[in-house]
Parts: sequence; structure tokens; C-alpha cells
Amino acid sequence: MQLDPVEYAILSQSVIAAAREMGVKLVRSAYSTILREARDGSAALLDARGGTVAQAELIPMQLGSIGRVFQPCAAMFPPETLEEGDFLVINDPYSGGQHLQDVFFFHPIFHEGEVIGFGASVAHHLDIGGGSPGLNAGARDLYAEGLIIPPMKVNMARDWHGGGFERLLRANVRVPQQTMGDFDAQIAANNIGVLRIQELARRYGVEKVRATMAGLQDYSERRMRAAIAEVPDGTYWGEAMLDDDGMGSGPLPVRAAVTVSGDSITVDFEGTAPQVGSNLNAPFASVISATVSCLKAALTSPDIPFNDGALRPIAVKAPKGTLLNPNHPAPVRARMISVSRAWNAVMQAISQAVPEKVIAQGYDTTTAFCLSWLGPAGWSVYLEVYGGGYGAGIGNDGCDAVDNPLSNCSNTPVEAMDQDFSFFRVVDYALRPDSCGIGARRGGAGFSRSYRILVDGPIVSHYSDRFTGRSSGIFGGGPGASGSCQVLRDGEVINLRSKDAFNLKAGDLITINLGGGGGYGVPSERSAALIERDLEDGIITKELAENWAK
Amino acid sequence: MRVGIEVGGTFTDLVAVDQGEVRVVKVPSTPRSPDIGAFNALGAAGIEAAAVTDLVHGSTVATNAILERRGAAIAFVATKGFRDILFMQRHDRRSIYDLHYAKPAPPVRRRDCFEVAERIGPDGTVIAALDEAAVTRDLLPALAAGGYQAVALCLLSAYASPAHEMRLKQMIAAALPGLRIAASHEVAPEFREFERASTTSLSAYVQPVIDGYLDRFEATLAGAGFTGHFSVMQSNGGRMPATAMRSNAISALLSGPAAGVVGAIRQAARSERGNLITFDMGGTSTDVALVQDGEAALAPETEVDGLPIRTPVLDIVTVGAGGGSLIWIDDGGMLRVGPRSAGAEPGPACYGRGGTMPTVTDAHVVRGTIRPDAFLGGGMSLDADAAHRAFADVAKRLGTDVRGAAAAAIRLAVANIVRAIQLVSTERGRDPRDYALLPFGGAGPLLAAEIAEELGIREILVPPNPGVISALGLLSADYVKLRGITRRMGLDAETPSVIAADCARLREATEAEFAALGLTGPLEHRLELDMRFVGQAFEIPVAVDPAELPRLGAADLAERFAEAHRRVYLHGGEPGRKVELVGMRFGVRRRLDALPEVRERAAGLARPESAEVVTGGATVQARLVDAAMLDLNEVVVGPALIEGYSSTSWVPPGWRGARDGAGNMLLRKEG
Repeated sequence: MQLDPVEYAILSQSVIAAAREMGVKLVRSAYSTILREARDGSAALLDARGGTVAQAELIPMQLGSIGRVFQPCAAMFPPETLEEGDFLVINDPYSGGQHLQDVFFFHPIFHEGEVIGFGASVAHHLDIGGGSPGLNAGARDLYAEGLIIPPMKVNMARDWHGGGFERLLRANVRVPQQTMGDFDAQIAANNIGVLRIQELARRYGVEKVRATMAGLQDYSERRMRAAIAEVPDGTYWGEAMLDDDGMGSGPLPVRAAVTVSGDSITVDFEGTAPQVGSNLNAPFASVISATVSCLKAALTSPDIPFNDGALRPIAVKAPKGTLLNPNHPAPVRARMISVSRAWNAVMQAISQAVPEKVIAQGYDTTTAFCLSWLGPAGWSVYLEVYGGGYGAGIGNDGCDAVDNPLSNCSNTPVEAMDQDFSFFRVVDYALRPDSCGIGARRGGAGFSRSYRILVDGPIVSHYSDRFTGRSSGIFGGGPGASGSCQVLRDGEVINLRSKDAFNLKAGDLITINLGGGGGYGVPSERSAALIERDLEDGIITKELAENWAK
Repeated sequence: MRVGIEVGGTFTDLVAVDQGEVRVVKVPSTPRSPDIGAFNALGAAGIEAAAVTDLVHGSTVATNAILERRGAAIAFVATKGFRDILFMQRHDRRSIYDLHYAKPAPPVRRRDCFEVAERIGPDGTVIAALDEAAVTRDLLPALAAGGYQAVALCLLSAYASPAHEMRLKQMIAAALPGLRIAASHEVAPEFREFERASTTSLSAYVQPVIDGYLDRFEATLAGAGFTGHFSVMQSNGGRMPATAMRSNAISALLSGPAAGVVGAIRQAARSERGNLITFDMGGTSTDVALVQDGEAALAPETEVDGLPIRTPVLDIVTVGAGGGSLIWIDDGGMLRVGPRSAGAEPGPACYGRGGTMPTVTDAHVVRGTIRPDAFLGGGMSLDADAAHRAFADVAKRLGTDVRGAAAAAIRLAVANIVRAIQLVSTERGRDPRDYALLPFGGAGPLLAAEIAEELGIREILVPPNPGVISALGLLSADYVKLRGITRRMGLDAETPSVIAADCARLREATEAEFAALGLTGPLEHRLELDMRFVGQAFEIPVAVDPAELPRLGAADLAERFAEAHRRVYLHGGEPGRKVELVGMRFGVRRRLDALPEVRERAAGLARPESAEVVTGGATVQARLVDAAMLDLNEVVVGPALIEGYSSTSWVPPGWRGARDGAGNMLLRKEG
């Protein structure tokens, strides 16, 4: 059906508003710090075939793949077979998911007995079982990383709140008060989305709602294609390196060939390192998210809704058996690190075509940092996701101490941690001097956080990257500082690796240092006033200021 | 005589009430020294300062000081290890695909941030004592050397125990008597250190500016023989004597929109309407608020220029859709309204000042709801041809004619405002159909009926002279003081008595403050408990009558919270979920005795019987009525345009309008 342009504009904005409301309510009714403070979750509305129509813009990484992970669910439980109260659940990375901690819920939207779409949400769950609380740095396969949920059809009345499926989940997670509460937040978000679309269908008629869902995807596709068409045709190559596999492998390359042809782009990751035994493997769905996020951010205006239409002009390939398309059952928990390098490689490739639009490499590393303790009252699990310094652009310094381009997690307030965790205390949270890459525009500064351990027995487990490598500058800019993690125990410094787990004692001081971003342009072009200002503010030291342009 | 003066970005509005006679004056604002505009308004109204008994002032001085970063030179002091709180912020980005993202800039440079060794735990116990020797040795000399006008203190857990902040404040005050000090436990005693630090630093930043402004203002008033009460509007919808602003500048932020909501509430009360959705449509944006039983909801936090401010403010949602909002088609072919605006210069195309892009005002001219000869009571003539020309390109790209394009733009502007209304109603679990719509601002009453249609609202209340409701709000605002505290505890048998004790303490402190300011008379109290399920981070406020406290048990409080949770999230928690109290806000209000009455100002304009208006795809003849000439209870059947001095009401087919005894115009949907 043909919609008149005004009705289409009104309805599409209403659908986007509904998705945004879902995201707000997902976060605001959540229980774990990872969802309620860090906001590591996303929400979307899908059409009846599972095409993503509108999303709450929370985490770029999760946004690309909600529609994709729906497909195996729909194949097993076709929408026309669903009944009131049914919903679908999945977290399996090898069925289109990303990692086990991201659990997807899909609630059908019924209108007069027919399914016209789905309310969908995904949240990173604090603990989903597996070999270690929150994060199993030592996992060597998927089974060790947590409970695997294949495509499941669940009924609210029968299986939840005391039902079998809910009890199974509850029995397999270490912090059920939080994890089960976060599932309820996902259900609340989906129910809100369902209600809003039903209201629209009643008010405007279901056919107009269907036409809007299709129209909104076409709209994003049109705008993406218009932006791509302005990029000079050609094939451009980029490369970025991971430090290692966490087990001493040495640097692992991610390579991208980006071919621009008219209004479409093909990205081929041929030449990327083979899959590894540790958890750095990235399920292919996450590679698509990362690639499209990079191209969307660099080439287009931020107001284009991210939906299935935005994915259409971009084809992504990665050879099977590599870091970016692993074979089952390779572990995948830390896939953000590998896809961040995919993001870097694509950015470097297009820097040759559109130098004014790209930015230098930032620290661009998701550092998942987990402290857990089995105390008298059960498990206490703290998980924080850290970014670092951003890469600089042609007209701006990189942002200091901020989450990575592919993520958007907030920090947990120190005063919230003081209330919720008795086994550690944060004692320092500061920008790191001289951590920015130099350049005409400097990279963003990295930062550090230190935790005093107050009891014997907690475990730290984390993954990060760029502990040996550094973020590269661009067009003459210098690299940002590396990251590191140390435990200070009885006056002795114990250096941890970038992917590690370690037993802690009372009195230990553990510090995580996050690196800085690379600079843009040659350092001698930076004004003396800006260098002086950074010196006064302690972003750089006198030594770096004096050597800036040498 | 009572006078309200509201300084806005473009105009300074004055309302004066003297023995039932109301005068309304609008003069251009003088942004560099807003007080000049305010006194110009007094002059233009021919008012002698000596004759004014009660002067209420609202201004954007505090907000502009932040937006333009023209506040005081300040220092910031934090717990050792945490001087970067204001730069770390929350580690997130507001625009997730923006590669050139910059965080909102705090009001203090990093070189001006200092630390003191100390630590207090979440229950208020001292973990590490304040290192007073280091304060004397390092901090005090640094503060003395920095040339600061104010210092902001934000120590960790000061919300739980202010002991260290109080001692530090004492030491600084003793050593540096001239330095203004903002301490976080006084400004915003609630947990989450970044939000509290941001609020405290902004308070320190604007305080000297506000003080200087009020000094000048009071001196000029005194010089002119003023001896009356001088009070200032706050963002919580109440006023306070200007003296009280000397320690609480932050509450003067964003007072303009709050004044409008208060004016709307008061005007609606005359017609015995207490459940309202107000929308104030101005030149660049529209402010929307929901009023329940005569009270506007409060939000615990707001932000200015991206920086959070933890202080109770009226819960007002703003959308970038005003009379001057531009209408355009984006590169995906979608029709858009705003957020860019034609501004004051060049303004809408029909103003004839060189604007060529169509705006919402131009759309009204094209469809006939603004008549070029009758704008501002005939005081400004509009160029209808320019409005038509401006729409030609949009019309072509939409495949319609100019009138069709204008009608489309109006529908989209309506949809934008409808979404803002849904944010304060549907998304908060309130059904808009249970409320009367109250439009004000120059452009509001022209769209009210169409907005009501979209929401299923059947009743609209248009106040007389809707263009000056904000200034009227100043005159009708009560004296209000709100205090919030963090008091975290699981709901148990003890909770009600803890709340009652806190409530009594807050009441005593606030009443003492009122007494000190000379605010005598009966006081009303209001209590809101912020509660959540144990483990959640975001609280839902639940209003409780303080007088009711002795009768309430923990189970009653839990049930009221679950009900509020259900309204917003569609579920009341799984069975057995525990509820906790996180904090409370206590409010004291001294009501005004008499409210000023406003009547429609006669335009005295000759007008034809009817004019053409495009509506619902057809062109109809709309009757033209002078708002000031409308007799009590004379029914105007739509289609009609009821033209007032500062705005026009559009009564579409299917609606009727009549003026009631309170002077308001009541529009009702037929059937």
C-alpha cells in the first residue's frame, strides 16, 4: 500500500519513539550494574519477518544483529504458530547471537490474532553460568562460557515466574536476584513496544503500520546509498593488529579490503588471522555489526535510523575458520576486541578515500573487568566495561576517557559501588598524563582506576588488548599509550597479562590502566596555546610539551 | 501594585496588577545586561518603582551564564584520587555514531581541581580522617593563589555524612573569608558523585553572577524608591525572596518554562480544572508538562548544555517545534519540521525580512489560520506571497500544491508536539484523555484542537492573553522550598518512623528558613518518597501526605510503590521482590492569598465576516471572531478563528468554543 508522505513521517517517528521508550525502560527497571548503570543492552522493533525497523540507540554493537539472531528462532517457531503469551529466547552465538551473556527476547505483536511484528530486547547479563563468575578468561570452548540457550519458545504464564524455563535459568546463574530481575526488565521493555505498536495499528490501521515498517527500512537504505555514492569508487585496504591470543601467540592481524562501487560497499576480511583457542573469536553477526557501524559513523549523518535497510547496501565476507568467522564451539566471550580491530581496519581502508571523514585509532578496546567474591551471603559479582581515549579527527582532539566506538557503556558511580560491594573499594579514578597520541589534533587521554581489596579470596578476571601494541595515529599523528593491569601486593608489583585471571588478597591494590587515542596530522601544526593549555591542565607533562614537535 | 517581569531570550514581558486592572507590556530583551530590559519594561508600562509592593522576577541570567560559559572563576575540591570526576563524567556518549564526539565542558579547568585526603563510607562512618594538616599546607595556599571567586566542594559520600565537607568549609571560610563556598551536602545531598559534583560546581559557577545581578537590580530598585517585596522565580515552580537566592542560585535555572506552567495552572484553576496537559509553543520550541490535581510533576534532575543538575525541577519536556521551525525534506525524501529554526533573523518567510525557507508560521499563513492583516492585533503585517513562495519547492518534491504542503507541515508539527505530550503522559502511565489541554505561547492555540484530536482529548482551555502566561505565572507563584535527601533503607517496621523523623527535621529547618525570610502565614507540606525494588538504580517518586505517615505501615508503602511501578513498566515486580526507600523530597509552600485576574485585550481591529482556511483536505469558510468581544457563554461553532491580541485560537469543524466566567475560552469537541 502507498502511504501519504505525512502519514508516513508521523508513523515512522512514532515507531522510532516507541523503540526509544523500550530502551529507556529496559535500563531504568534493571537490577545489575552492567545493565542499569553501564546500560549494556538494546531494544528494537521488528517487522513480521524479523527485519529490524527501529532501535533504541544504546550499544552500536548490539544494534546490527538483533534481526539476524531472530531468523533461527523464526525458522523453528514460525510467527503464525505463536499464541498470546508466547515469546522467543536465544543466546547461541552459533545461531546468529554474539556471546552467551547477550540474551535476546522476542515478543510477538498480535493485532486481531495476527502477528504483525516483534518487540525485541537484548541485555548483557552479569552472570549466565559457565566456568567462572561474570567472565571466564580461561574458557577454551563455548560450553565453559555459560549456559547455551538455543532458539526457545517460552510462554509467560506457563514457563515464567515459577515455571520450568525460569527455574532452569535461575538455577544456573550465580546472582539470580540481578539476572532474573534484568530478564524482567527485558520483558517489560518488550511489552511496552508491543503495546505501542498495537495502539498505532488501532489508531491508523494495521496496513499503514506495515507500510511504515517497510518504508522506514527503505528510507535508511536510500540515505545510506546516497552517502556511499559520494565516496570515490575503488578498493581500499586496511589492517589492524591484536596483541595476541592471551596465550602467547604474538600479534594477530585483521585485514579488510573495502570495495566501493556506486552506492554499495563490499568488505572482505580475507587475510585475517585464523581462529584462536581463547575467547577472542568473533561470531560473524558481530563482524557485520562492527563493519556497518564503522561505515555508518564515518560516511553518513547520525540521524539515519539503524535498521535492516541500513545493512542492505553493505556486503560483508569473512573466511570460515578465522578470528572473524569461527567454527563451533570456539569460545567467543571477548569478541569485542577482534571486531574493534575489524572496525579499525575498515576505518583505515576508507581513510584513503575520505581522509576528512575518518579519525585516528583510539584505544578502541573493550576492557571487561570483573571482580567476584564468594562471601557468606553467596556470590557478589562486579563487572565494568571500560573504553579509553578516542582517536583524533581533522578538526577535533580525541575525546578523553570515553567508551569505544562500538560500545557505549557508562561507568558505575563510585558511591553506587560503595553501597553495593563490601569486598573492595575504588580509591583512585584519574586521567593518565601523556597517554594521548601527539598530532595537529591530539588523541584522547586514557585513564586508570584502582581498587583496594578488603577481604581474602576475590578473583579478578579481565580481558583487554593493546597492552603491548598501541593505537596508531593518522596522517602524521603519533600513537596513544598502551594499557596495563597491575596488582600491588606488599610493596611488590605483579603485572597481569591483557587477558588474565588472578586470585586476590586483602590489602591488594589492583590498577587497570586504559590507553589513549592516536593523533591526527603532524604534531608541528598544533598551536602552542593548545599545547600550553594541556600542560597547565596536566593532560601532558612538561617533557612531552617540550618534545611535541621534535 | 504587583508586578511580574520575565526576561526571555528575545522579549521581556511585564504584567502589572493594580486593584483588578491588569497591564501587559512587551519590550525587547537586552541580553548583555538583562536588568536594563527589565527596567525598560517598567518604564514602558509607566510604573513608578515606589508604587510596587510586590515584584517577582524571572530571568535567564543563570542559564545563560552556563550556556555562554560566562560564570565565575572557580576551584573544585574532591576526595583524594577523584579530582577528575567532572572530566570522567559517565564515560558514555550522547550521540553514539558521532566520531568527533566531545563531552560537555565542565565549568572548571582541570588545573583548578584539587584533592584532600579523607574518606567516608556509604553509611557515614569515617574510613580515613580528613587530613587537616595537608589542607592547611597545600589546599589553602592554592585556593588563595588561584584568584577564585568561588570554590565547589564534593567529597565522596558527603550525602551520607557531611562531617568532612563541613569541617573543610569551616577551614576555608576561616582562611579565605571572601571566597564563596558551595558544598555538595548543601546543594544536592544525594548519591552519585558525578551528578552531585556537577550540580555543586555549577552552583559555585553561577552564584557570583546571580549575586552581582541581584545586587545591581536591588540597588537600582532602591534608588527608584522601591520598598516592596522582591522575589525570584525558581525552576521548581515556586518563588523565593531574592535574599534566599544568595545561597541557592542553582534553583533559579530554567525558571522561565516553570513560570509558564504555574501561570497555566492558576488560570485553569479559575475554571476548576486541575488535570491539565500544558504546552507552550514559542518561536523555536515547545515546552510540554502534565499537571495532576493542580500540581505539576517534579523531575529530580535536569541538565543545561549536557551537564546534569540534581535539583527538583518541574517535569517539562521540550521539542524543537515552534512557530519559526523550518520545514524541509531530507536526503531520504522525508518531510521534516525543525529542529532548526529561522530564529529572530531572518524569521519566517512571511515576516518579509529575507527568509526564504518555509516555517510553521508560514504554513499557518498559507492554510489561512494566520491572517496577514491580523497578526499581533494588526500590529505587524505579513507577506503572504513570500509564505507561498517559500513552500513551492517542498510542494513540488511532495507532489502536491502549496496548500497541500502547508497542511502536511502543520500535521507534522502537530505530531511532534503529540510525541512530546506522550512522553509526559503515556510513557509515565497517564492517559492523555483524562486531561484538558491548555495551550499558551503565541503559537499554541492555533494547533491545540488538532493536537487534541490526535490524543483523543475532548476539552481545551485557552487562557486570555495566552502570550503572557509566563509573566502571569510569576505573579501567581507561591513561595516554595524543596529539600531532597538520600535515606537508603529496606522497607521494614522501622521505616515509617524513620521517615517521620526525617520529615519533622526537614520541616523544622525549612520553616525556620521561611521565618528568617519573613514568610509568615500558614504553610503547606508535601512529601515524596523515592523508592525502588532492591537492586534497581532508578527510583519512582511516590507522593505521601505527611499527615498520613503515622497510619502507614511498610506494606502500605510497598504496595503504593508497586502500583507506581506497574503504571510505568506494566508490571509490579515478581512475587517477593523487596522494596527499598532511597530518599525523599520535602516541600514547603506558602500560598498566595489573592490571584490576579487577566482579561483579553481588545484589538479594535476591523475584520471581515469570514476567511478561507484549508483543513482536512478541503477549503472552508471560517468565521472570524474578536476574542475580546466574545460575550459570556456565546457559542462559536467551528470552523472559526477567534483572534486575540497575542494569539489566535483555531476552532476546526466539529469543535465549539465559548468563554466562561473565569475569562478562559473553553473549546469542546462535539458529539
